[in-house]
Amino acid sequence: MVDEKNLRDKAKEVLERDDVRRLIGWARGTYGYESAPVVLKDASEVDKLIFDPTCVQNPASFITLEEKKPVPRGQEPDTRKVAVLVKGCDSRAIVQQLVEKAYDREGVIVLGVPCTGVVDRRKAAKMFGDTSEPVEISEEGDKYVLTVNGEKKEAPKAELVADKCLRCRYPNPLVYDMLVADEVEKWADDEFADVDEFAGQTPEEKWKFWEEQFSKCIRCYSCRNVCPMCYCVECVVTKQKPQWTRRATDISENTAYHIQRAWHLAGRCIECMECQRVCPVDIPIMTLNRKLTRDVKEMFEYEPGVDVEAEPLLACYNPQDPEEYIM
Amino acid sequence: MGDFKFAKDKMAEVIGALKDYQVLAPKAVGDVLRFQPVEDPAQVSLDYPNTNVPPKELMFPETETLFKYRVGQTDIEPEVPDASARRLIFGIRPCDALAYTIVDKLYAWDFPDPYYQKRREATVLFGFACSEPAANCFCPSMGGGPASEKGLDALMFDVGDTIYVKTLTDKGEEAAKAMGLEAAGEAQMKAADAQEKEALAKIKRTLDHSGIPEKLPSLYDHTMWERFSDRCLSCGICTFLCPTCHCFDIQDEMEGFDGRRARMWDTCMFSEYTLHTSGHNPRPTRKERTRNRISHKYSYFPEKFDVIACVGCGRCINYCPVNIDLLDILEDVKKAEVKEAKTA
Amino acid sequence: MMDESNPYLPYIARIEDAWYETPVGDRAVKTFKVNFVDDKVWDTWSHRPGNCAMVGRLGIGESMFCISSSPTEKGYLRFSIMNSGGKVTNALHELEAGDTITVRGPLGNSFPMEEWEGKNIVSIGGGIGQAPLRPVINYVRANKAKYGDLKVLYGARTSDLHCFKGEFDEYREEGTACHLAIDVEEKDWPHFVGFVPDLLMEVAPKPENTIAVTCGPPILIKFVTQNLEKLGFKAEQIYTTLEERMKCGIGKCGRCNVGSLYVCKDGPVFDYATLKTIPEAFA
Repeated sequence: MVDEKNLRDKAKEVLERDDVRRLIGWARGTYGYESAPVVLKDASEVDKLIFDPTCVQNPASFITLEEKKPVPRGQEPDTRKVAVLVKGCDSRAIVQQLVEKAYDREGVIVLGVPCTGVVDRRKAAKMFGDTSEPVEISEEGDKYVLTVNGEKKEAPKAELVADKCLRCRYPNPLVYDMLVADEVEKWADDEFADVDEFAGQTPEEKWKFWEEQFSKCIRCYSCRNVCPMCYCVECVVTKQKPQWTRRATDISENTAYHIQRAWHLAGRCIECMECQRVCPVDIPIMTLNRKLTRDVKEMFEYEPGVDVEAEPLLACYNPQDPEEYIM
Repeated sequence: MGDFKFAKDKMAEVIGALKDYQVLAPKAVGDVLRFQPVEDPAQVSLDYPNTNVPPKELMFPETETLFKYRVGQTDIEPEVPDASARRLIFGIRPCDALAYTIVDKLYAWDFPDPYYQKRREATVLFGFACSEPAANCFCPSMGGGPASEKGLDALMFDVGDTIYVKTLTDKGEEAAKAMGLEAAGEAQMKAADAQEKEALAKIKRTLDHSGIPEKLPSLYDHTMWERFSDRCLSCGICTFLCPTCHCFDIQDEMEGFDGRRARMWDTCMFSEYTLHTSGHNPRPTRKERTRNRISHKYSYFPEKFDVIACVGCGRCINYCPVNIDLLDILEDVKKAEVKEAKTA
Repeated sequence: MMDESNPYLPYIARIEDAWYETPVGDRAVKTFKVNFVDDKVWDTWSHRPGNCAMVGRLGIGESMFCISSSPTEKGYLRFSIMNSGGKVTNALHELEAGDTITVRGPLGNSFPMEEWEGKNIVSIGGGIGQAPLRPVINYVRANKAKYGDLKVLYGARTSDLHCFKGEFDEYREEGTACHLAIDVEEKDWPHFVGFVPDLLMEVAPKPENTIAVTCGPPILIKFVTQNLEKLGFKAEQIYTTLEERMKCGIGKCGRCNVGSLYVCKDGPVFDYATLKTIPEAFA
């Protein structure tokens, strides 16, 4: 368990530095089973920070989300650092962003938070109902203890925790400047059982499934916007000149969008699963991404977001790369 | 108007009797509920809180053709919906019906929009009162309520084994007759009243919005906008799922020699929304866009149409992935100190 | 007028004549003189200086442009369009006489020509900003008796980039004072050299009973309005036009709002006093 006081003290130290502009972390939400990401600008605000199983969002997404505003004439650009609290899965995003040179390592200060799992709000709501009060959740052994509407409730962790946590191999941050708690044991290995199960269907079954799923899509682009790896200044789907994907929400364009995004993430997706969590119409987006993740692992023995010294898989060329079809 | 009822286990028959209407009711695909045309009346269930995507998509579809054309020809073929093709929305919640009355004002403003209006004309709204408000509902604060009649042609109440139907307009009466409903008794009406009172007591979240529309423009330069815009993802969820959001894009699409001009949902949250061809963007960051969104709903819209463009359905709060909470923001608005207004 | 039963339907207009106002190339300005394919449209058409229309091509899209001809110019409409490199302006610049375009309008509000009767008018334009001012000038010229003194100030970066070349001589022949400018010295340029706001201070029109109307790049509008106020003009005497990205042009798609005003419906013509109350107008 993470000691919140220790976390806040470390955050305070960082925010008090002259060379730190902001700190991204989690605060208590206004209702329900999830926290709210928070961007602190001043050390006096650190008491807002929390860390518990409600901290499901990926703060690494906010590093690249910040707009680069033009510097007014006569002013110098603000080159101070951004500090960010990250769980194990979140830290993989930072690793991959560094691998792709999205920003300099010196530009961020990473406060690593070893994580023992986050709650899936839908599972919690099914079990205990919706609530307009924020829920506090703590761990006791292999149980979660929740305070819902003033009442104490309990449930086995395995029933409430997010699916991604049940196969989490990286609970400890893979890049950090400091850890705010002791490292923890990993949950399990990932055998991609879910991918195998889905891939085992016939093409007709799979197409029927995706036709139904993609028909639901309202093209809100939340999946893209929350993704820490989707940080292109101009995304291919919003380009007008030329226009690659029409804005009409029909099965053709919706399918094109999702498949495009899955391909653009091949070898880059670090499986924080945020895209699937945020989708308002429950499209199982990660089924596509995990298939490609598994393929990348098998074909190239490559795993994104693990080694800061690695090279981006599909953005690099090695003369020894096998190619049997051009020459 | 009239008071009717039907037994809950006869719902399939009652819906099936509506031969002259296309009936739309909530249907689940997994955990996601949306209003869909009813294929099998036996599958309609009113056991639901509210749909993810609001029924605004039934009046104002995600994508619709405005007109068609062909390269080389100067004829244009509009595709305006047929107002005589009757539809009945079965089980719409009072908040979503109230939302229609708000959006009506915009679509009727100066240049009436025939696409929206013809669909409205053709549609009968059979509402369904809420007995279990959801966690983030605050409709009574916005002029609605769990049994609000505004905008509805009829309002249904689940009072045990029976559904009590209160018809509110001629359109509602006509549909009730077509459904073959029997007359309701005192017991049903009393139960409906009691249900409404209980439901109102269950609503936890409230908002006193007096003064907010007038105050918002003076907070243009306030730092409060940064507090929540810093975590905004600029995704479209709050706007696409909001029953009073109505913004759209218009695009021409060609397939060979045939083409159409279509409109589709758009959102002020996207940075491309206001992007000029020159590259200038008056709302380049999330701060400007989130400020504009709240100001539009709670100040600019009421300035023009005398009603706040919000019905308290709570979807924006429920579905925002980063817990940007509208009521939280509006509390900030109320507390914020107004500094001297900046002049140009 | 617009098709009342469906405000999204455009009219088809044929280009009678098209010519470049400025050298062909990046951001060139091309004027299109168009006439409706269906004559009957003229029976119900009426527009005012300041009105705009959505002009475009089927299969590409539409964009909002000011009608740069006055209603006193009968039987045609003129649009002067700069190629900003976008889908629509690119596509429009490909067209020549004989081709068709779509015209949806008239849209927006207009300059209050009736309110201005009896007053002097000073028009201050820069670059393509002269396009919405041209109908004001032509309207005043056609109704000379109703207005006071007309002064025209116009500048562009170079003499090549002046729009409506030749028309200024026509104004001069009628006795209208015309003051032209270019930014940088050019051989054989007999007029003012410098920015339009500086030209304004040199001409120094008197504010008494005068309306100033200005349009051009945002920086020009900013300094022109500052200088007009220095010359004693009140905010209510200064008019300009705003522009934003537009799609529906009828106040429904939501995107062109500046504060609570929709530029396509409550504008594009605004007086400076109104703009001063909206912080977003100066974003």
